[in-house]
Amino acid sequence: MLVAPSWSEVGHSECIYSSYRDLISRQSETQQMEVLKEKVEEEEEAERAEQAERAERAKKMMRPMEVRKEDTTRTQEMLRDLERKLSEIEVSIPEKPSTFTKDAIDTSKLPLSYQSNTPKEEHLLQVADNFSRQYSHLCPDRVPLFLYPVNECSVPKFVSTTIRPTLMPYPELYNWDTCAQFVSDFLSAVPLPDPLKPPSYLYSSTTVLKYQEGNCFDFSTLLCSMLLGAGYDAYCVYGYGSQDLCHMDLTREVCPLTVKPKEEQESAKTDPLHGLRVHSWVLVLSGKREVPESFFIDPFTARSYSTQDDHFLGIESLWNHKNYWVNMQDCWNCCKDLVFDLGDPVRWEYLLLETDKPLLSLTEEEDDGMNDDDDVENLGKEDEDKSFDMPCSWVEQIEISPEAFETRCPNGKKVIQYKRARLEKWAPYLNNNGLVCRLTTYEDLQCTKILEIKEWFQNRKDMLELKHINKVTGLNIDYFKPGHPQALRAHSYTSMQPEMDRVMEFYETARVDGLIKREETPRTMTEYYQGRPDLLSYRHVNFGPRIKKLSLNSAESNPRPVVLRHSLPTSHPTHVLACQKITERFSRNPAKPADEDVAERVFLLLDERIQLRYHCREDHLTASKREFLWRTEGDSKGNKIIMTPDMCLSFEVEPMEHTKKLLYQYEAMMKLKNEEKLARHQAWESELEVLEILKLREEEEAAHVLTISIYDTKRNEKSKEYREAMERMMLEEHLWQAEAQLDYLAPFLAQLPPGEKLTRWQAVRLKDECLSDFKQRLIDKANLIQARFEKVLPGPWQGRGPQRPQPENGPRAVCSPSQTCEGLIGAGGGCQCLGCPDDRVVLPHTCSLGGRVDGGREGVVGGWMEPYNSS
Amino acid sequence: MNRLCDVEPRVMDDEMLKLAVGEQGPRDEAGQLAKQEGILFKDVLSLQLDFQNILRIDNLWQFENLRKLQLDNNIIEKIEGLENLTHLVWLDLSFNNIEAIEGLDTLVNLEDLSLFNNRISKIDSLDALVKLQVLSLGNNQIGNMTNIIYLRRFKDLRTLSLSGNPVAEAEDYRTFICAYLPDLVYLDFQRIDDHMKELAEMKHQCSVDELKHQESLMQAQLEEEQARWEELEGHKAAFVEHLNGPFLFDSMYAEDVEGSQLSHLPGVGELVQTYKDKFVIICLNIFKFGMKQQEKRKAELDTFMGCVQEAIQEKQEQGKHEIAKFEEKHLLTLSSIRDESELTNFEIKMAEHSENITELVNVLMTLEMQLVEQLEETINMFERNIIDLVGLFVENVQSLMAQCRDLENHHHEKLLEIAISTREKIVKGELDEDLPDAVRALFVDKDTIVNAVGASHDIHLLKIDNREDELVTRVNSWRAHLVDKIHKDEIMRNRRRMKEINQYVDHVQSELDSLEYSDLLD
Repeated sequence: MLVAPSWSEVGHSECIYSSYRDLISRQSETQQMEVLKEKVEEEEEAERAEQAERAERAKKMMRPMEVRKEDTTRTQEMLRDLERKLSEIEVSIPEKPSTFTKDAIDTSKLPLSYQSNTPKEEHLLQVADNFSRQYSHLCPDRVPLFLYPVNECSVPKFVSTTIRPTLMPYPELYNWDTCAQFVSDFLSAVPLPDPLKPPSYLYSSTTVLKYQEGNCFDFSTLLCSMLLGAGYDAYCVYGYGSQDLCHMDLTREVCPLTVKPKEEQESAKTDPLHGLRVHSWVLVLSGKREVPESFFIDPFTARSYSTQDDHFLGIESLWNHKNYWVNMQDCWNCCKDLVFDLGDPVRWEYLLLETDKPLLSLTEEEDDGMNDDDDVENLGKEDEDKSFDMPCSWVEQIEISPEAFETRCPNGKKVIQYKRARLEKWAPYLNNNGLVCRLTTYEDLQCTKILEIKEWFQNRKDMLELKHINKVTGLNIDYFKPGHPQALRAHSYTSMQPEMDRVMEFYETARVDGLIKREETPRTMTEYYQGRPDLLSYRHVNFGPRIKKLSLNSAESNPRPVVLRHSLPTSHPTHVLACQKITERFSRNPAKPADEDVAERVFLLLDERIQLRYHCREDHLTASKREFLWRTEGDSKGNKIIMTPDMCLSFEVEPMEHTKKLLYQYEAMMKLKNEEKLARHQAWESELEVLEILKLREEEEAAHVLTISIYDTKRNEKSKEYREAMERMMLEEHLWQAEAQLDYLAPFLAQLPPGEKLTRWQAVRLKDECLSDFKQRLIDKANLIQARFEKVLPGPWQGRGPQRPQPENGPRAVCSPSQTCEGLIGAGGGCQCLGCPDDRVVLPHTCSLGGRVDGGREGVVGGWMEPYNSS
Repeated sequence: MNRLCDVEPRVMDDEMLKLAVGEQGPRDEAGQLAKQEGILFKDVLSLQLDFQNILRIDNLWQFENLRKLQLDNNIIEKIEGLENLTHLVWLDLSFNNIEAIEGLDTLVNLEDLSLFNNRISKIDSLDALVKLQVLSLGNNQIGNMTNIIYLRRFKDLRTLSLSGNPVAEAEDYRTFICAYLPDLVYLDFQRIDDHMKELAEMKHQCSVDELKHQESLMQAQLEEEQARWEELEGHKAAFVEHLNGPFLFDSMYAEDVEGSQLSHLPGVGELVQTYKDKFVIICLNIFKFGMKQQEKRKAELDTFMGCVQEAIQEKQEQGKHEIAKFEEKHLLTLSSIRDESELTNFEIKMAEHSENITELVNVLMTLEMQLVEQLEETINMFERNIIDLVGLFVENVQSLMAQCRDLENHHHEKLLEIAISTREKIVKGELDEDLPDAVRALFVDKDTIVNAVGASHDIHLLKIDNREDELVTRVNSWRAHLVDKIHKDEIMRNRRRMKEINQYVDHVQSELDSLEYSDLLD
């Protein structure tokens, strides 16, 4: 712990580390536990010789290296040399400047349990110390255990008691995945001060939550507390993880949100500290909460891993709120061969005697009742010193305010860099356009060329849910939740200009016309329908070219010319040349015979032709067809032609009599002409609607109004106002009532026998008493002010508890605070102390001086003592 | 009505109808067309013949598709001549001289019937009008409340008018109607309000409930009968009706005078009883077997039909696909030919397309021939199967019937024995029992008694033989009919398909030809 060494030294030390690692792995590979044992015995003597020195050093620091034993070829000298070097290096690793250091925490505000240890905890610490010593004796080759790091008040606390199982009041936090996601979002990760050993401190989860920052041990402690509260069989694990894991580096991972990433093997940099990086994560054992298989959760990334995963390189120990287990299995093959049967004392050395795996215990259950049971059981079997149950957690109840829960990430924003992707998250309402998540996918590993962007929104008034922007094709797709004013489901477009390629999908049940989808190209529009009473399922419109002059003056508000010689309420002149065609298709109407049920009709507006195709009969191959074309010019004599047989060409599967009649054909044609008009009008209206939607979308994009649920009491201004008004009214009413009850003479009158007339003497005495009491009250008030003043100014009395008021010339003696409290409680908050035999008047404000006597204070509210409290 | 009596009645002749049809037909341009072409009576949907002094409804049989007929304000005395108008929905016969409701039994689609201002005194003969919604019977002579109960059978009846009848003068007229016709919405052109409904319910609840109870009993009885009838039909379809009990046995004895006389002999009663028991058991066996065989035949038929349908469907899909493909090509070719200006090219294209059409014909015909072959094979197989099944059934029934005959023979022998011994007893005067005179008369001599017993035996055998013959003939004719029908259906199907293909090809060809023609003209 001298001076910070130069960088060359660091490099050198890394070499040593790597050689050391090789050595360890080589040893591990041999799998010769027997040999190891022998070695242990061989070296035991040498170790003992060194013990004094070791102990001294161990006190100063925790040495991760000590675990591993030397090669038999290495001499004692070399060992010592190595150790010295290693210990030097540890200092060299620069501690990252953290905004959240021990100094920043105001320890004085923390509860008593944080600042001191109860006798039981002390006892536990002794047990742990004993265990630790035995352990280091038996397994001198292993690193010291992570048993009782100091907390934020520099008080050593046993790790299990730092876990405070808590069931969160948010339904979202009931499952492990959402829980882990929350922890990973809510806290920002800080690397360990020394990546090669566990931290020397472990803060309470409440502090960690307050500062929203922590290392992996803080993360896993919090997550473990929450998972235990939710009923999972969860454990904090102290072990070794890969570099990516420890540094929360996801850049080599594929973002889970990207659908199909191209797999490309990347040459992973070899980590010189592989296998030595200390990490802490959470183990969830199968069994409880229907967990089928045990798995790990990395609290940094909230990802779950199989217990065989390559990222987890070894486990030293694990603990929950009940017990502490040390791994006695060999981790030569990472965690792949570990058996998580904590009841097996050969594999897992336990600290506290518990024969079987800990039971599920929620926050309430971890009270005495349960522990007592354990106690009784254990007492029967083992000696007294061994049967010791875990004391209650010293950590306060973990609380997350709804605001904090909603904001989630520190400052409501979080960015995660994945392989070829970047994920940004925001709290709802943080962005005023409702953006909550954005995933940017890149083409290259350096993240310079954007492939596509996906943006998720929440609480948008226009119900926009997801915006998908493909930067390569320029295609934008907006997805909407049900509830858009135009029943929009999805809108894909390249440009917001009308008459471009676009597809709009709708929630057809929300629309009267049952439109599902409308596809547009510059020259066509295709609509798909469902569930219409007229069974129309498809309409395709071909548009004619727009005359240039028109497109100039008609701007955007006018739909394309749908019409030929057909006047519409627009400014189109009637001579617009527009080649066009409307095709409509219908589903089969079972109520009609197939020969009369039109399957498709085509209005060829230029040729003045209408083509009909009927549905096919069930046992037929061919369907009837009919084609109408009308001629408007007169015949040779100048008479108007009404109907001639060549105006209707039909093919009938089964020729029928009545359809040959001109009258029938004429009527059918007239009907179709009407239908044609309607169809044209429909097409025109659809065009208009597109323009309308585009305009609306633009407005919505510009305004991006967010909705606020009526249940959201914090944001909903209206309900907030209403609630505040209600509260004010309540308060006023309350005050008024209190005032009405306030009668200064009441306590004195109550001393007299009720119902009797006051004598003059009595009245005078009453008046004197009341006055003197008032005087006393003033004095006490002065005392109170004085006391508070002293509290603010650090003086000789600070921290010594409340000061007794000094009555100077008051006629009444003042009883001690405790007496007062009793008196008050005894009187049931009834304003005066009838229980005092010597007619002393109890001064209620002594309560306030006495500190935390909440019951007394509550009892007084509304009584005549109320003014004191308000002071 | 009287006011019209002095005017000379007119006859509903062709001229009158034509005039009415012409007047009420389409107007304007369509009218011109109609005049040009003439309107067939069977195409007319609505006809109005009011104020025509018609006495007798006649000549309406051609109006098969008439939906609405107005014959109000005439002097009609009898409803007749409407039998052919089965599509009629609306019939107005108000302001006539009708005295009885009749002649409406074929008008099952009628929804609105007006008989306002007539001389009707009783509501009946409306049973066929199951869809009736509006019934107007005001200004008539209906005097009995029970007529209203008759209207309960019309489940869709919503509007009723009865004002101007004697019945409407009764004090509780409205409440009575409301109570007995709870689904009614309008009575005498007024909406029935909830208050009235409540009032009516309170007043007439008891009697209505009783009526309802009776109705439900009737309904249940009807249903039961229906179920029984259906069951019998099922047995008949299996050709074993009346074999699931002692019916055959009873029928054997029903015409057997001697047999019943002989049963008075001592010991014969028990004998007959055991005989009957055994006989019934055999009958039941036949019945059970028959039902089982029926199931098997049905399953066989279903599988066959399913297979046939599947095969037809498959070929049909293929055919449709071919036609759709062709149609696309056809349209393209037609338009390209139309645009063609050069004669040589034009002719080449025409020839090409003609070839295409021939190809289509070939493809479709091949598909059809394949199908015909497939179906023929299947039908033959089915025929064999069904013959086997029927043969098995008949064989088994015959063997069981033979058992019956054996039983009868056995019984006959026993009976003869008893008869002879009885005769001997009588001759010896040892018979202590009293016998009816008719029976005693049989024992006058041995021949008589033997003849009597023999006659009974013959009758029994005859009955059994008859039953057996009936069963066998019926099952065989059923089989023959079925197979015949299947063959016929297949032939019809094939003809229809051929016709369809030819028709389509002709159409396509004519389209092509018309192009040629029109081009040549230009």
